[in-house]
Amino acid sequence: MITLPPARILPFGDAAIIIEVAAHAGYSATQTVNALNRELSVRLIGRAGWERPVPGATTLLIPIDPIEPGVEAAIVEVTRWLDGWTRPGEDDPVHESGPIVEIPVRYGGQEGPDLAEVARGIGLTPAEVIELHTGTIYTVAFSGFIPGFAYLGPLPPRLVLPRRDTPRPRVPAGSVAIAGPQTAVYPVDSPGGWWLIGRTHVPIWDPLRTPPAVIRAGLRVKFTSR
Amino acid sequence: MSEPMAARDVFEVLAPGLLTTVQDVGRPGHRDEGVPLSGACDPVSMAVANRLAGNPPGAPVLECTLLGPDLLVLSDVTIAIAGADLGATAQPSGRRLSPGQAHHLVAGERLSMPGSGHARGCRAYLAVAGGVDVPLVLGSRSTSLVGGFGGLEGRALRTGDRLAAGAFAPKAVPDDATAGGTRLLLPHPDASVRVLPAPALSGLGEGAAALDALCDATWGVSPVSDRRGLRLVGPPMPPAAPSDGGSHGVIPGTIQLTPDGTPIVLLADAGTTGGYPVIAVVVSVDLDIVGQARPGGTLRFQAVDLASARRALVELRRTLAG
Repeated sequence: MITLPPARILPFGDAAIIIEVAAHAGYSATQTVNALNRELSVRLIGRAGWERPVPGATTLLIPIDPIEPGVEAAIVEVTRWLDGWTRPGEDDPVHESGPIVEIPVRYGGQEGPDLAEVARGIGLTPAEVIELHTGTIYTVAFSGFIPGFAYLGPLPPRLVLPRRDTPRPRVPAGSVAIAGPQTAVYPVDSPGGWWLIGRTHVPIWDPLRTPPAVIRAGLRVKFTSR
Repeated sequence: MSEPMAARDVFEVLAPGLLTTVQDVGRPGHRDEGVPLSGACDPVSMAVANRLAGNPPGAPVLECTLLGPDLLVLSDVTIAIAGADLGATAQPSGRRLSPGQAHHLVAGERLSMPGSGHARGCRAYLAVAGGVDVPLVLGSRSTSLVGGFGGLEGRALRTGDRLAAGAFAPKAVPDDATAGGTRLLLPHPDASVRVLPAPALSGLGEGAAALDALCDATWGVSPVSDRRGLRLVGPPMPPAAPSDGGSHGVIPGTIQLTPDGTPIVLLADAGTTGGYPVIAVVVSVDLDIVGQARPGGTLRFQAVDLASARRALVELRRTLAG
């Protein structure tokens, strides 16, 4: 049994607790967060007063009812669960787990208006950018920003570049984008500052569907060029 | 929340007001998919309005902001208003529709809510006996303005919309049903917002200094505030250490510090994860105070501990249930 150095279980106000599993964001932290999320989600099914954990880059936040269970009892309970939990090691097969969702993408052109500029900026051809972007299987780190927006990573290091200087007021739904060490698909039309390299016509977000998000925690994503 | 609703048109929207949306207790359980909680910014006033109208506390209501709607009454209906007093009247009689009390409206009357520059609070909750009838989306009838779903087509009311009452009301209410204490109408104007210290996550070394600075000042509420959050205007804050940990889950009531030193109090429509340093978290029982904070108004904060936050919430729930 391995406890979680430096896992800490802390109150987040009176209506949530937060579990920190690593001090620094990165692929290893994402793997641990995902493994712990699977474990906790099973334990929390049907528990009144507990909500599904919300993954972050190095954390899981669990919203709870402030009275029942209340923060202090929730921390005691989660601490007990984690005492018996084996943290996946660096070379654990958990790194390869999680179903893979394939997302077909039309790269470049009007649907990926930044592809040429991205390629120029990093000294590659557009075809090489597509090859790198489709040649990696990405892990869902966490969701946020807008409903159904999942942060995927890690990008191949050659593709890492800062956000655009000026965000666009409207990025069309389905746009496939990169920024920093991450890639994502915009689930709905929204403002956005990431580089748009392509677009998918798979409806990746539909609130009338269960679950509403095609790309969500626990899954991995592979983009294909079509 | 899932009983079938016998829809009956009760209102036609003659003017929508500044921002009028259908809200309930919100949409928990989908935050891991990036779906904001939504729901009433002032859950206490929503519950009070519902109780007065004979509804369960979380039935869907209209949340009216600063300047309320003009509604033509299509069929006789019982309503109740709680929260900010936006000067509601029934036309053409001019009869006052005071908050904290049930009112019966008859077909052909017009409910007008012109707003008031002197009102305390900024959100009025209009409950209709039976609840506002809109479809259940991801377990809630609240409007997700960010997601464009829920409530009435995922948006604020527009002129020409029709609103139906649902089948939520199990109880008939007397003409003169009123709210118990004034506490249940609006938070006291001088009430401080009680906060708990931020969780001591790695890389957030300045938490204690920032909490002291937050609690020492009187803060203005910026006009650039909405259902996602309040921006606070005040003295310069000690810079918070940038986090190494990246984004993490947040909840309504979380107080973040932006890189330019502006504290932001997250409200119901806030994103589910955030990367700015957290300097404090508003206790659940005081979410109504921040949810009613009027742009241009002021707020003060007071650090408390978990035990007193819990006692206060137990007492509020007891009062609301009574």
